[in-house]
Amino acid sequence: MSAVAAPGASAARLPGAGARPSRPRRWPARVVVLAVLVAITAWSWVAVDVDLAVIAHNFSNAQNTLVQLFQPDYSFFGETLQPLLETIQMAVIGTAVGCAVSLPLSFLASRATNPNGPLLGFVRTVMNVVRSIPDLLYASIFVTVVGTGALSGVLSLFLFNLGIMVKLISEALDGVDRGGQEAALASGATWLQADRAAMLPEVAPQYVSQTIYVLELNIRASTVIGLVGAGGLGMLIDRVRTFYQYHYLSLVILEILVLVLLLELLSSAVRKRLVR
Amino acid sequence: MSAAPTLVAPGRATTQDRPRKPANVTRKALWLVVVAVVVAAFWGVDISWGALWDMPGKLWHYLGLMFLPPAWSKLPDALSATMLSVAMAWFGTALGVVISFPLSLLATRGLAPVAVRWPLRAVFALLRAVPEVVIAVLMLSVTGLTAFTGALAIAIGSVGTLGKWGYEAFEAVDGGATEAATAAGASRAQVMRWGVWPNAAPEVLAFWLYRFEISVRASAILGLIGAGGIGKMLIDNIQFRVWDVVGILMIVVVVVTMLIDQISGTVRHRIITGRWEVPVVTALRRRSARAARLEASPSILEDDSRSGTVG
Amino acid sequence: MSGEQFEGAGLRTRTGAGIRFEHVNVTYPNGYQGLRDVSLTIEPGEMVAVVGLSGAGKSTLVRTINGLVPITSGEITVGDVSDGGPADGAAAGATYRLSALRGAAQRRLRSEVGMVFQSFNLARRTTVLNNVLVGRLHHTPTWRSLLGAWRADDVELAMQALERVEIVQKAYSNASELSGGQQQRVAIARTLAQQPRVILADEPVASLDPPTSHVVMRDLQRINADLGITVVVNLHFLDLARRYGQRMIGLRAGEVVYDGPAADADESTLEEIYGRSLTAEDVLDAPPAVLE
Repeated sequence: MSAVAAPGASAARLPGAGARPSRPRRWPARVVVLAVLVAITAWSWVAVDVDLAVIAHNFSNAQNTLVQLFQPDYSFFGETLQPLLETIQMAVIGTAVGCAVSLPLSFLASRATNPNGPLLGFVRTVMNVVRSIPDLLYASIFVTVVGTGALSGVLSLFLFNLGIMVKLISEALDGVDRGGQEAALASGATWLQADRAAMLPEVAPQYVSQTIYVLELNIRASTVIGLVGAGGLGMLIDRVRTFYQYHYLSLVILEILVLVLLLELLSSAVRKRLVR
Repeated sequence: MSAAPTLVAPGRATTQDRPRKPANVTRKALWLVVVAVVVAAFWGVDISWGALWDMPGKLWHYLGLMFLPPAWSKLPDALSATMLSVAMAWFGTALGVVISFPLSLLATRGLAPVAVRWPLRAVFALLRAVPEVVIAVLMLSVTGLTAFTGALAIAIGSVGTLGKWGYEAFEAVDGGATEAATAAGASRAQVMRWGVWPNAAPEVLAFWLYRFEISVRASAILGLIGAGGIGKMLIDNIQFRVWDVVGILMIVVVVVTMLIDQISGTVRHRIITGRWEVPVVTALRRRSARAARLEASPSILEDDSRSGTVG
Repeated sequence: MSGEQFEGAGLRTRTGAGIRFEHVNVTYPNGYQGLRDVSLTIEPGEMVAVVGLSGAGKSTLVRTINGLVPITSGEITVGDVSDGGPADGAAAGATYRLSALRGAAQRRLRSEVGMVFQSFNLARRTTVLNNVLVGRLHHTPTWRSLLGAWRADDVELAMQALERVEIVQKAYSNASELSGGQQQRVAIARTLAQQPRVILADEPVASLDPPTSHVVMRDLQRINADLGITVVVNLHFLDLARRYGQRMIGLRAGEVVYDGPAADADESTLEEIYGRSLTAEDVLDAPPAVLE
């Protein structure tokens, strides 16, 4: 007992015990990392100009607004149907076209299926750029270029999808077992034929599952891209917001919520079946 | 002639029954439904597709206006606006982390009773269902839209995703360590600190960073509806059709987003695997590894780029 | 009976091709020398077993024949290798010189040379039939292969190939549902669908259990005997090489150290090839009687 537990009894160590390892000095690195994190946070605190008093003040003035927000006006429902339908239409079209176009692009963007180095690099770079521009930014530019409405919405959803799908599918292709492709090439097939016959079947389930995922993202996105004028529910949000019709606003938001949750249920059910 | 070799082994073709091609009715029905939905959407939507014809020409024209050349003189302004956006994203994410961390613990099976767990999970699901922009619109109606409220919207959105990822990570921790700590007489908090946290920590930290990447995009979007930063600058210039400034702003958005993704991705990789993997350096290292692999198993897939059989 | 039925439909196989190596060297980009000055001639219709330790150059030798591994110097000829050049009317097909073969010509050679791999190399998430049809890709226009609209003749040929390896019942199953032995037989059917003049097999039984190994080796042997297709198979197991090969080529450090009838190879020649005495791991040693 005493041999083990006596504190400070260095003489009482068990015979045969070797030198104890010294405690590794990890703390300096940790302190530095922590300091950097704290510094960045402090800087962001200052930059965004945290001012709780203003919030509290505005909040007390906004009681009327809050009451309206918690009392959706269901008589407005009829007027929301058309934008709601448009939202779904935009999402479906954007998904269909985006996913169709992304399939060949994914094969061009994967090292496993495209042996042409310069072309691979080019496609990847372009797709990286396309992906790093947010959907709402596309929408605001298209609205200025082709005008307000669903066309701008569909175009921006299309580009948004392209970026996501090509990344997901080309990464899936990178990870696929390439045996079948090797066999096809060894039997005299061209790369195009080998990719089609041996690589496409291997990613097909993932392609379908990601398409459903992208549809889900699109429904979400198409509810809001209207805020800058690209059609759908977002345009309605923008309208009722400018006229301070908060009991209408809360109905629209409720609808978005229901739509997104329904789709999430559907998509997770379908995807679960696919994985099985 | 009949002595000539054929693929068919003599007398075997008749004894083996070929299977019938499966009909796959469900699959065909599903395809039909999908096609019908897509066609209906195309047919019903209020779009004059003719406008697409002069689209390429127009796009070219506007791209020219934006990038030939972009307004480089606005670069400093663009960068400082970007800093505000990044600050918004960082502050929002940090706040989201602070709020979501204890909540996700309370939503973890084995750490909190069902009566606490399920309501919390429902809240997370609800927050994830609402797009951040909508949260911002709501906040705008109540408190007015500033960079700070933008950050708050991001924080609220982050709580939804981080809360879910958090309890999933905690629940994925192997039960052994938890059991050992419990068996040693640890309290619930001690089990958490020494049984669960060491195992879940890398994943959770990586999630925080990943969420920051998402928040950077979100903060640019929030700017577009008025929360300040690069998005605000963009929408102003788009509305006044100052295209060369839009050009430089787009460049800044793309470069900064990619840069932050790269840095954050590298750090995440380090947290998960314990090794630094810097993009360019690793690509070079991988190339030499490929040459070494060639020796072990010579394969067409490695050498075709050299021998020129490009299909 | 059935032979006559399909005659004229272009489904007959061609006769085997010869293969000649003349002073072939292969050096990999990292400086590793795979083959050193290999010269040998394989006659049309021969069944050759290539043996040696791993890293001795077996795989390299087999893979140079269809250009999967490019040769650094020397020449490989596939087709007519008789000394007087092609006799009139005797040439059953084209003759290829591999040192300068690229692009479309290389793909044509590959279409005449089937290959069986150690890990089967099937597309696992599609049907067995589609996998066998991969052997027809070279003869299928691009648009057809993109749409998966195979010609009826090609499907018939693929079915016949599956019948030959006795696995036609699985034609519409997914490749992933098959056992290892079944997958390897599908892979053999895929090469048969090419109507090849040569079949190369790169460690075809290394991933299989002993009884299945014998089934696969016997399939190859029968294809060689019935159809006259030249078969080059590299094997790790000596007893399989002795049992199924007519001729044995032993490689050590990229050089040919034995070349002669498989039956004549005794313990001492094998020790010469392996550079050490044999161990239990060098033989498969399954009683073949169980299989009959």
